[in-house]
Amino acid sequence: MNPVIRTLALACATSGAVLLSAPARAQSFDWKHFDGETLNVLLNNHPWSNAIRDLAPEFSAKTGIKLRIELLNEDPQRARLGTLLQAKSSDIDVFNSLQIREGAVYAKAGWYADLTPFVSNRALTAPDFNLEDFGEGLRKTATFGGKLVALPINVEGPLFYWRSDIFAKCKVEVPAFLEDIPLAAAKLKACDAGQGVWASRGVRNAIPYAMASFVFNSGGDFKSADKKQPGLCQPKTITGLSMYADLLKNYGPVGATNQSFPQVVELLGQGKIAMTHESSNEFSNIMKYPGREGDLQIKVLPKGRDSGISKPVAFGFGLSISEYSKKKEAAWYFVQWATSAEVETKLVAKGVAPPRTSVFAGPAMKNWAGEKPVRQQWADALREISRTGTGDYASPTDRVPETREIIGRAVQEVVLGQKTAKEAACAADIDLAKLQ
Amino acid sequence: MKSIVAAPAAASPAGIAQRPHPGLGQRSLSLAWMMWPAVSFVGAMIVFPLAYAVWISLYDASLGAEPRFVGLGNYLGLLRDPEFRNAFKVTWLLYAAALAMQLVLGTWLGVVLNGVRWARNLVCTIAITPFMLPPVVVGMMAMVLLDPSVGIVNWLIGLIGMPPQLWLAHPTWVLASVALVDTWQWAPFVALLVLGGLQSLPVSVFEAAEVDGVIGWRRFVFVTLPLLGPTLLTAAVLRSVDLLRFFDLVFIATRGGPGNASTTMNMYAYQQGFEFSRFGWASASMITLSLVVLCTVVVFARLRRAVSW
Repeated sequence: MNPVIRTLALACATSGAVLLSAPARAQSFDWKHFDGETLNVLLNNHPWSNAIRDLAPEFSAKTGIKLRIELLNEDPQRARLGTLLQAKSSDIDVFNSLQIREGAVYAKAGWYADLTPFVSNRALTAPDFNLEDFGEGLRKTATFGGKLVALPINVEGPLFYWRSDIFAKCKVEVPAFLEDIPLAAAKLKACDAGQGVWASRGVRNAIPYAMASFVFNSGGDFKSADKKQPGLCQPKTITGLSMYADLLKNYGPVGATNQSFPQVVELLGQGKIAMTHESSNEFSNIMKYPGREGDLQIKVLPKGRDSGISKPVAFGFGLSISEYSKKKEAAWYFVQWATSAEVETKLVAKGVAPPRTSVFAGPAMKNWAGEKPVRQQWADALREISRTGTGDYASPTDRVPETREIIGRAVQEVVLGQKTAKEAACAADIDLAKLQ
Repeated sequence: MKSIVAAPAAASPAGIAQRPHPGLGQRSLSLAWMMWPAVSFVGAMIVFPLAYAVWISLYDASLGAEPRFVGLGNYLGLLRDPEFRNAFKVTWLLYAAALAMQLVLGTWLGVVLNGVRWARNLVCTIAITPFMLPPVVVGMMAMVLLDPSVGIVNWLIGLIGMPPQLWLAHPTWVLASVALVDTWQWAPFVALLVLGGLQSLPVSVFEAAEVDGVIGWRRFVFVTLPLLGPTLLTAAVLRSVDLLRFFDLVFIATRGGPGNASTTMNMYAYQQGFEFSRFGWASASMITLSLVVLCTVVVFARLRRAVSW
């Protein structure tokens, strides 16, 4: 070939290649794209939040984005979030929330940015980010009106914890059915009057979370049979409510109506109680107490003997971008990093149950869980509740926080001996109906 | 000096307004702009939020829904709401119990401090410590001290053979317990006011009482206490504003429970506004609470004028 023609052909080919590669380069993902930005992140006090705060320097090193993470207890965080977002403030870029509780209301208020365009934008999303890796149920919970409003950050639900050494000492069988729990509690109390038997959440708005499976496994529901009315006054729901309240009343710690998960964890960790039904999230906190890794066992709350039903509560918090954030794209970088398989793998060691299927079934989880029998039980129980659990344990209304107050108050009235379970449940139904 | 002050009044016996100095009005006008920072601050920080709260209280404004004008509907709804009526009752019970205890204990403590000669400053410094503590700290302390299982209070009463009590976890005890904790924190404040009042009383009155043979308990009841009236009313006003808005201690220690046994009006409004996102309803309850506080303060202010000497 003529050298001139060859040179021209080469030049054309090179130019073509450059031109063809230009769009690809423009779409290539770069973690350093928002180097120098600062994001404000508002999180509630949660094992995931504490763990992610520890990992924040890694994110800053990787992206050049600085994080200002504010951690508040659950209620103050909601109050602060409400104040800022109601005022359409751009002070918050990223926040976490519980979609099964406040998701519908936040979505209606327009507080969540739609994450769908970010996920599908190859220039803004890492190639190895795989949305389908989150279970379908979790993605569905985080979707409102076709908009993906959050990415799941954990899987959690209440689990049944019991002290195998105390059960063995008292020669009490581990409850195989829900109805065995009060029987076991009675035997444990008779065996050693100095040993606390039971503890669970007794603060009004915290009760439904721990009580819901007692209701479901008894064959009850928080909705009527046609799912259109509140259903607390149904016989089987009353049975479950009554069992939960009676356990607190007869075998619970004094002052149980003022206690929530911090007190329950403290009592279990210090060895003052023999069993509880408490959040899987608290596993890492409980294991910090000496001796508990050896004598504690975990499983899903036993199914009802008569009903044959095992319906645990399971859900996860989600990480969202504020609709009013002025740095949504940089915020998306943080959200995708915090929910990436790489980060979730690191969080496993801190006792955060990963919502990504690949991480849950991955070697890191297997190795970590395999180190101790109690970890394996915890992982198995989580796998089960992820498969069979529900996050819907309210009467039919969007005003979920109010339902929790009303249901919790009914249980407190039974614990305090002010009403029978039937009286409290039927009175609560009247109040719940007003929320519809 | 006296003649200088009295001169203008003498010059206008019929009360005819005096024409200001010709240059004074112009100077006042030229300096009027200096008020604007203060006026703007008051407008932006007090008048606007209050007016906005009143405005929103006339709407059915909830998160995720378009606000709907309901006029006085929220206020009428509050009157029908058993939860609000309970909160109203709880607020007044707590107010009455705590205020009575704080005035009685504070007065007693003030009289004792007035009699102390040695290390009075040290005692006063220790006395002011409780009300310098943040309410959150006081709430946490109350939770620890009154814990039914490991709290020191139950241990102490156990020493004298009393059974443990559910101080913060039983509907019968919770209000008394909260009132006691608040009294522990704020009775010293009343005591300091009383101490200041006692030290400003004219010695001659006490000397005259002594000459007349009014001493001891009778002197306290018939001389000291009436003279302390204005001071006690000032203390009552200051504490009333705080007590009627009771929130932090309840929020930390009981969350309004058990049940709704310690849900004050402020706690109720917080729940409605921040937990249930019912902004119109919460604003109506806050405006109602503000009116209650205002009326109480007005009553005490009138009493204060009636007993001044």
